[in-house]
Amino acid sequence: MTVPAQRTGDQPAAMSLRGLVKHFDTKLAVCGVSLEVPAGSFYGLLGPNGAGKTTTLSMAVGLLRPDAGQAIVLGRDVWADPAAAKARLGVLPDGVRLFDRLTGPELLAYQGLLRGMDAATVDQRARELLEVLELGAGNRTLVVDYSAGMKKKIGLACALLHGPRLLVLDEPFEAVDPVSAALIREILQRYVTGGGTVIFSSHVMEVVERLCSHVAIMSDGVLRMHGSLDKVRGDRSLEEVFVQVVGGRIATGSELAWL
Amino acid sequence: MAVTPAVSAWPFVRLKLRLTANGLRGRPARIVLFLTGVLFAGFLAVAGYATFAVPGVLGNERAAGMLLPLGGAAIVLGWLFLPLLFFGVDESLDPARFALLPLRRRTIVAGLFAASLAGLPALSTLAATAGMVDTTARLGGTGAALAELAGVVCGLPLCVAVSRSVTSAFATALRSRRSRDLAAILLALLAALLGPLQVVALAGAERADWNTVAAIADVVGWTPVGAPYSVGLDVAAGRAWAVPVKLVIVLAATGGLLTWWGTTLERAMLGAAGGTRPAGATAAADPVDRLLLPGLPRTRFGALVAREIRYWWRETRRRAALITFSVAGVFVPVSVAATGVSAGPMLLFVGALAALALANQFGYEGSAYAANVVTGVPGRAEIHSRATGHAVYVLPLLVVIAVVAGLVAGAPARIPGELGLLIAAYGAGLGLVLPLSVRTAYALPETTSPFAVPTGGGAAKGLLIFALMLGTVLVTVPLQLVAYFLGPVWLWIGLPAGIGYAAAAYLIGSGVAVDLLDRRMPELLAAVAPHR
Repeated sequence: MTVPAQRTGDQPAAMSLRGLVKHFDTKLAVCGVSLEVPAGSFYGLLGPNGAGKTTTLSMAVGLLRPDAGQAIVLGRDVWADPAAAKARLGVLPDGVRLFDRLTGPELLAYQGLLRGMDAATVDQRARELLEVLELGAGNRTLVVDYSAGMKKKIGLACALLHGPRLLVLDEPFEAVDPVSAALIREILQRYVTGGGTVIFSSHVMEVVERLCSHVAIMSDGVLRMHGSLDKVRGDRSLEEVFVQVVGGRIATGSELAWL
Repeated sequence: MAVTPAVSAWPFVRLKLRLTANGLRGRPARIVLFLTGVLFAGFLAVAGYATFAVPGVLGNERAAGMLLPLGGAAIVLGWLFLPLLFFGVDESLDPARFALLPLRRRTIVAGLFAASLAGLPALSTLAATAGMVDTTARLGGTGAALAELAGVVCGLPLCVAVSRSVTSAFATALRSRRSRDLAAILLALLAALLGPLQVVALAGAERADWNTVAAIADVVGWTPVGAPYSVGLDVAAGRAWAVPVKLVIVLAATGGLLTWWGTTLERAMLGAAGGTRPAGATAAADPVDRLLLPGLPRTRFGALVAREIRYWWRETRRRAALITFSVAGVFVPVSVAATGVSAGPMLLFVGALAALALANQFGYEGSAYAANVVTGVPGRAEIHSRATGHAVYVLPLLVVIAVVAGLVAGAPARIPGELGLLIAAYGAGLGLVLPLSVRTAYALPETTSPFAVPTGGGAAKGLLIFALMLGTVLVTVPLQLVAYFLGPVWLWIGLPAGIGYAAAAYLIGSGVAVDLLDRRMPELLAAVAPHR
């Protein structure tokens, strides 16, 4: 069933996960995930709710300490040399955890200075990002009062600000309106064209099918399939493959008759 | 489905007990905390019972006439102040969760009220005040005991109603910009109420002026706070007619408080008020200039400090902590100073209280702390910036406290020495609090009330505060001894000595905290993020 991981020539992987394991109390949330994300790829991590996508990505970026396994980002071990690995990463965490009592511009300035960038560069890039993402460089609304789509966009801006070579995005399209989603897609595509690597989690097939060069399918903490989109999909639609791999059920019609 | 069946308060009580039990399941640390809370509550109950039973055992009616109303009033006031200042409120039943259910306000108030009664503090209070029944039984026989029992049983709902209605009202008021200042003033007035109580206590203790105390006790016995606990004495003294009058006073007060709670509760259920800040664009300053405050370096450290300073004011929980501290910090030493006693010990208390606001500093942010973990902020920058952000607010306040207390006491020469003690206590408090804030961080519930603590967290918070106070006093003992023996010389060297002492304590404590944080960043994040 498993398609072997793709090795793209002699380029080193942008991210490589080796045997990541995580328990919560007695529950096994992630069970030995190994994954190579080739540099320059647009990688989609698919899976139903509770599959372990967020847990895996959290371990990959240094937010959650794995019980076993290794995460290597652009040649640096995230857990052995966190400072070097984190400096090369841009992350949009789950549920967009941000310091939301700051305004958008303040938040970007905070992130930039935290990354050790000089103030002039921070100002210039922050203004540009706020303009492109239609958040308004003069907006004085606190991020906590932003709409869901605006929160995703400001989170994305925070992840992009220091010009990382790898972006790790957890559910970047969840609860985003179609207009904002199109904008985010366009920015990400441009980023990959420019040589960056993106890995993001989602459970929306259309988005993944449209954007990604590679996909991985997770369920119950296990990586079920991974590889280039064409290999995983074969001659079927991605959705068919997904439902079959994950083993979902389809309502027969006899239940819920009262609906 | 338009008919809503009458819902009793019982399901709320069961829901609370169930939530408490589920919160403990499979979490040994929580169970230990809970058991400590049980022990603590049990100890208070036994100690309270013993204290209130003493006048009966001695057969001293006069002592009973003072202890019961005043002790009872102290308990009611304790229910008023302790949640605001220290313990927080157990909001395992968050009112906002009931907003979508077809329940009438009456039902919700009754339910939440009943659920609050089913808790350790309420049980402990009931057991402690039962000592009063013991006393009246010995002094006035069965009739008096029955009357006192009725009083004690009515007094408990009063305690709970006082605590819930006042915290809810302040939570509502502190949320909106407009009423925030008013709330601060009200809180100040409440704290000022502590003053007369202290005068009574000191008058009793120092001048042995028992007649004044007895007169005050008689008056307090007719107010809602003292009435429930003095009815048994009235029967014993042959004033049985007073019993129904006093019970009506208590019930009316409880009813009034519950009605008030109902109105603020409704606002709490609607959730936080939306941003009133104008969304319009203004002549845009550069983002970095907008974040940083004047005088801060344009570096990582500057950014961290600027964020902390903004958060102390913009985040409701932090703002509530800051306001309650400023109020308590100014009023407690001042009311002590007004009685002419040295404010020394109180100053240590205030200094430690200031540092206490950082005890769960990472819990305030919850999962937003992930942003700092992802950027890999080193522990040193994190800890020092947080302490700096807090000190920006606290140090000026400490100066104000020392000056006001010195002037009120009529001894301006003592001001520098007392400021030295205050700063030393603050520094020692920080030295103890900072490592704890990394090691014992816990997630705060995501509710609209800034006073809410997680289930069972009240006891934990109380114990932590107790331990920290004790620790601060112990750590500052050498300095106090020096201050005592040096006498007048302390007036001159007090301030530099205090600052030096604070700096040393801070450096040691923050060093430990930095090491801890560098090793435990992801674990800390997991501890403060509310999910899982």
